[in-house]
Amino acid sequence: MIEVRGLGKSYIGQDGGVVQALQDVDLTVADNEFLTVLGPSGCGKTTLLKAIAGLIPWNEGDIFIDGSPVRGPGPERSMVFQNFALLPWATVLENVAFGLQMRGVGKTERIERARALIETVGLGEFETKRPGELSGGMQQRVGIARALAVQPSVLLMDEPFGAVDEQTRRLLQEELLSIWEEHRLTVVFITHSMEEAVLLGDRVVLMSARPGRISEIVPVPLTRPRSSDVGALERSGKYVEITAYLWDRLRDMHEERRPAKAGR
Amino acid sequence: MSAPAAARRRLPRRRVPAGPISLLAGAIVWELIGHLAGASFFPPLSTVIGRLAGMVTSGEIFASLADSLLNLVLGFAVSLAGGLLVGVAMGRFRKVEAALGVYVYALLTAPSLVFAPIFFSLLGEGRGSIVAVVVMYAMFVMIINTASAIQSVPGHLVEMARSYGASETQILLRVMLPAAAPMIMAGVRLGVGRAVTGMINGEMFIAVVGLGRIVTQAGGRFDGAGVLAILLVIIAVALGAVALVQAVDRKITGWVPQTSRGH
Repeated sequence: MIEVRGLGKSYIGQDGGVVQALQDVDLTVADNEFLTVLGPSGCGKTTLLKAIAGLIPWNEGDIFIDGSPVRGPGPERSMVFQNFALLPWATVLENVAFGLQMRGVGKTERIERARALIETVGLGEFETKRPGELSGGMQQRVGIARALAVQPSVLLMDEPFGAVDEQTRRLLQEELLSIWEEHRLTVVFITHSMEEAVLLGDRVVLMSARPGRISEIVPVPLTRPRSSDVGALERSGKYVEITAYLWDRLRDMHEERRPAKAGR
Repeated sequence: MSAPAAARRRLPRRRVPAGPISLLAGAIVWELIGHLAGASFFPPLSTVIGRLAGMVTSGEIFASLADSLLNLVLGFAVSLAGGLLVGVAMGRFRKVEAALGVYVYALLTAPSLVFAPIFFSLLGEGRGSIVAVVVMYAMFVMIINTASAIQSVPGHLVEMARSYGASETQILLRVMLPAAAPMIMAGVRLGVGRAVTGMINGEMFIAVVGLGRIVTQAGGRFDGAGVLAILLVIIAVALGAVALVQAVDRKITGWVPQTSRGH
């Protein structure tokens, strides 16, 4: 279980003023829950994720994972990055085994475990290739395999499919759903796509910007497993309704931030 | 029949060996000017090569060459070790950079030979002084390249490693150094060229040993062909050293896509 209590983070901006990146963020993520976080750019959603990952400090509040406070990165959490963050000089196998290597797992075991994950994400033939030889979608499969190789209980995903084309994105979403259905992980998934947030999440956390805070948490009462028929799900009334509602809310946020026009 | 003929017509153009042709053209120009000018310090290439062959057959060149190469290797090794060590420290720690940066840039731009008399008085006229001059020439460019290479390691790779609990040592060895390797090697390539310059200048200026001694003596005899013969040897040494570094470079940084290589 992830508990975020009264989290606040501010920093001094380029103009010298104080920027409130996060304010009073309270959030509880249940075990094996798939939580998606949606919001306009600058709402602090990536900051929230990196705080949970233990990669950045904050000013106020606490974060607990299964009751113990977060002081830095931990073995129960792993992260998938928007820009993949693969080592360009290392092969697919070496990249997937990287997390295990950092955690001191012996060579034989880490190769074995990495190979199994490479099979899971369907990159068996590409084990000896380097990231530069792979498409964006394949690179993110490597990123996901690397994150799963360390057998985390919490998977933190920072707009993982934001840098791939639409068709690849849909395939990756389906694959992620089936991986999650099989592995039972707690997932916190940042996105700027309403459709993605609804398709994947048990709940959608809607964040607003300046200061970054949670504006609303929207439950997604769509049946699971969802990976088998994503198409039918997307045509269902509930899916359409929740997506439309999220867009209404997001549009309001954008309207508020737009400079006032004359005559209004 | 026509297809192979077409291929034969196309192939030679693509395989034109620009390097050797350029060398040949240079040799011809040298030979011609040498004959036409008739200046004692610019003899034609054939005379120079004849003089070089004489040095080789008499064996007088080998001891000097070995002496010079030892100076070069020692000086380059010290420069490489110092360059990597100081460069990494400067790249990683702002305080180290702030403290040492001014000295490094000052010594990089200062004419290195100015320090020769200082080494001469401190280290005597032995090998130590020449090696010190080689280091003065070669080390600072490697320090600066290594420091900027470490500073330009993508932050997201370091963050990724940190998220997997990597220690500072692991981050340095497994992420920063490999990521910085192409740029570090570019500095090493520059450094090796400067090391050869340092070697010959040190030998000529300080202790008259090695190839530098032959150049100095030949100059004193107004033996232009002798000076240029040694120049050819020095160029060969420099090209050999650079080729060696490039071979190592290709081995280390083979992962860099061809299109983003600077050569």
